[in-house]
Amino acid sequence: MESLLRLEKICKSFPGVVANDHVDLEILPGEIHALLGENGAGKTTLMNCVYGVYRPDSGTIYWKGQPVEIHQARDAIALGIGMVHQHFMLVPPLTVAENIILGLPSPREPLLDLKSASRQIRELAERYGLPIEPDVPIWQLPVGVQQRVEILKALYRQAELLILDEPTAVLTPGEVEELFKVLRAFKEKGLSIIFISHKLEEVMSISDRITVMRAGKVVDTLPASRTNPRELARMMVGREVFLQIEKPPCTPGEVVLELEDVRAQSDRDLPALKGISFQVRAGEILGIAGVDGNGQTELAEVIAGLRRVTDGRIRVLGKDITNCMPKEIIDMGVAFVPPDRQHMGLLMNFTVSENLIGKSFDRPPFSKYGFLQKQAIENFCAGAIYRCDIRTPHAHVPVKLLSGGNQQKVVLARELSLQPRLLIAAQPTRGLDVGATEYIRRQMVEARNAGTAILLISTELDEVLSLSDRIAVMYEGEIMGIVPAEEADLQQIGLWMAGSRAYQAAETPQTV
Amino acid sequence: MLSTQEVTNRWQIVYRRFLERSFNILIPLGAILAAFLISSTLVIARGANPLTAYAALFAGAFGSTNALANTVTRMVPIIMTGLAVTYGYRSGFFNIGAEGQLFMGAMATTWMGITLVGWPAWLLIPTCLLAGALAGSLWALIPGYLKARRGFNEVLTTLLLNYITIQLFEFLIRVDHVVGPGATFLSWIGLKDPSQPFPKSAYIAEAARMPSLTSVITWLGGTTEDPALQRFTLAAVIAVLAAVVIYILLFKTTTGYRARAVGVNPRAAQYMGINVMRTTITTALISGALAGMAGSLEIMGFQHRVIQNFLVGAGYDGIPVALIGQLNPLGVLLSALFFGALRAGANRMQIVSGAPVSIIYVIQSLAILFAIAGTVIDLRPRRLKQAEIEEAKRVEAELAAESPSAPAADMLGEEVRHV
Repeated sequence: MESLLRLEKICKSFPGVVANDHVDLEILPGEIHALLGENGAGKTTLMNCVYGVYRPDSGTIYWKGQPVEIHQARDAIALGIGMVHQHFMLVPPLTVAENIILGLPSPREPLLDLKSASRQIRELAERYGLPIEPDVPIWQLPVGVQQRVEILKALYRQAELLILDEPTAVLTPGEVEELFKVLRAFKEKGLSIIFISHKLEEVMSISDRITVMRAGKVVDTLPASRTNPRELARMMVGREVFLQIEKPPCTPGEVVLELEDVRAQSDRDLPALKGISFQVRAGEILGIAGVDGNGQTELAEVIAGLRRVTDGRIRVLGKDITNCMPKEIIDMGVAFVPPDRQHMGLLMNFTVSENLIGKSFDRPPFSKYGFLQKQAIENFCAGAIYRCDIRTPHAHVPVKLLSGGNQQKVVLARELSLQPRLLIAAQPTRGLDVGATEYIRRQMVEARNAGTAILLISTELDEVLSLSDRIAVMYEGEIMGIVPAEEADLQQIGLWMAGSRAYQAAETPQTV
Repeated sequence: MLSTQEVTNRWQIVYRRFLERSFNILIPLGAILAAFLISSTLVIARGANPLTAYAALFAGAFGSTNALANTVTRMVPIIMTGLAVTYGYRSGFFNIGAEGQLFMGAMATTWMGITLVGWPAWLLIPTCLLAGALAGSLWALIPGYLKARRGFNEVLTTLLLNYITIQLFEFLIRVDHVVGPGATFLSWIGLKDPSQPFPKSAYIAEAARMPSLTSVITWLGGTTEDPALQRFTLAAVIAVLAAVVIYILLFKTTTGYRARAVGVNPRAAQYMGINVMRTTITTALISGALAGMAGSLEIMGFQHRVIQNFLVGAGYDGIPVALIGQLNPLGVLLSALFFGALRAGANRMQIVSGAPVSIIYVIQSLAILFAIAGTVIDLRPRRLKQAEIEEAKRVEAELAAESPSAPAADMLGEEVRHV
């Protein structure tokens, strides 16, 4: 059968990152093709190349056998490619019909023809079994229906290939079932679908063929009928080498942090933490692995007092800190390197020195009778800048002018200057270059050697594997399991990350 | 680590920091100069000579003790409201309600001044001032609380409260002020002078009025013939002191640190352990107190009673004064001087040169535009700017690599153009 879309040796790199490295991919007419891989494996970048958001550095795209140049999204749409992004591109105050015809020429230019558009949308919706009311504004619709609008938008533009980027991430289980029913109907009508996901079970149940990507390369393409979750998990995370940091054996002390059946809601008021329990002891690093968006940010925030705990208890050194003010928790000796240094970790318009004293400005020696003590602050900041090798012309430069690595050093210098008993490090090396990453990781190991309890939350599996003394995996707001690092089994962790508990470590004693 | 090259660069650093700091003053000065320059085309269009016009304006503002007294009188309330807006804005509390808080302050001060007759000056002056500050801050507490606890937009609440205040004021200056036997609560809080048919209060007690230069000279045993000296009062000194105090509060104390941190990024401030709600409420109280004191100083220093339309617009003027002053308390002094001088000299300019009074509003508005435009001027060395641009590019590429939402604009861009 002739392929609908064929990619040949697609390369795309960004400064410092090779996102796609000679990727080959073939999509047949009428198939559901899953693209599976970890965060940063290059799935979305590849699809953005197909959809004309990025130009590939090299390689060729064939559409129905013909080589094509796709410069922008309009070209892709004209060919018959539709893409539904993880974050919907809808205008909330406008109605379904208005959103669907947005950007298309109207048959009655310069006037809109909403009536005939609504009729066509109704017909289309009926044909594909996607019930929708064209005159309702988007903001009134639940997320699952909004996604339906996105799909209809692509169908209205006569898409033959539908790219769905993590379509189930935002859906409830019931909505996922609905979506799958619709996708199967599409397939019967001859449409092709590319389904981007990192959830093994879903991929197994919906797709005809599966392409696994890792670190910008295609590992393999297999028919779903001839593989199993275990094999997929190994292909997804399996790596030969990773950065190893030298560290003395762990000597855990007293329990510093204890969570007991902690529950919390996300910003969208959906359950984000569904009964989390674990302990972190002095002098150990507990690493939490998991794909982004499985409740890791919420976990860090509830411990730091920045998010309300709806049920359960959090104790630090035996003292209950559930729903305490952030200030009280800081004073208990809890330091926190937040995942987002630009919006939370730093006051970007403040100077380096103002940021360095951000959590201790109201304590002696920096404050006396409510007045900031210039000399004490200068001395402290000069020391911190020297010790942590923060590259800045002087301490009074706005921190936003520093490079990302130096900004993160400012955050870490501030947090460690509090001499914390517990350090929560969420995505501590996200977006940093190799040197800064190395530095930050070494600092954490040193703090751990000095007896600090460290909770490391990272979506980079390498980082968790190389730093942690124990490893936990989070999936959809739950801890799938906790294992000591030396007993960690990559397949097991891969399965946990993809939401499957089925596999038992004992089956294949393949350890790292 | 300090390398040798960085040591040799140290003088450059000192020079640069000096430049950065003096910039707070240079921007408003440049903005004011540019405003005068461009407005001169309008003056010429009216057939007048801009040099004559501006000379007359200057003479009308600074040319005699009388002119100077006019300028100072107009400066004092807008220094205070400018400070109120500045402090609020720095903490993310955009106080549009300085006008209403000023009226509350003026009413409270007047009430004290006409009720506590017989108190000695050393007690009555602080009491009156305090009453004004308290009234202003309590009035600002309403929007402050609503913002902190309920997330109400303070721009709306403060603005709407202004109308309520003006109505309350209009009402109270029509209610006879009667204390002692036969007084009801309403007559007790009323402000109108019962012996007069007009809606205005009685003069406040002598002891409640701000001492002036004349009284200082008399006290020292001298005599003076110049009536203008009576209008140089302690109120002006207090206003200047207030600017210095607010400068120290904002930049040298923990309270100011909290306020500025919340103003820059409330989420980050909360993460750092700052109580954002409490800070917002404190900010509202301080901002309101400053605006309330604007009313007190006007009554105690110059007008000595409230009367219909006794001081309209000074609260709103605080906003441009704060903006031209680069939201810096010391800059506020400078821009309030500019505003005060323009208004004091406007009449003389019209009489001498024929350029209409309304020219000053053109100058004023242009100065605001230039002052805002001036904030984007970047004095930093090119190397730093380049580094920032590259960092931004890198972050963008990174985000693009890991998140699918980044290129959203690109994606709609081409389509939307055809709508």
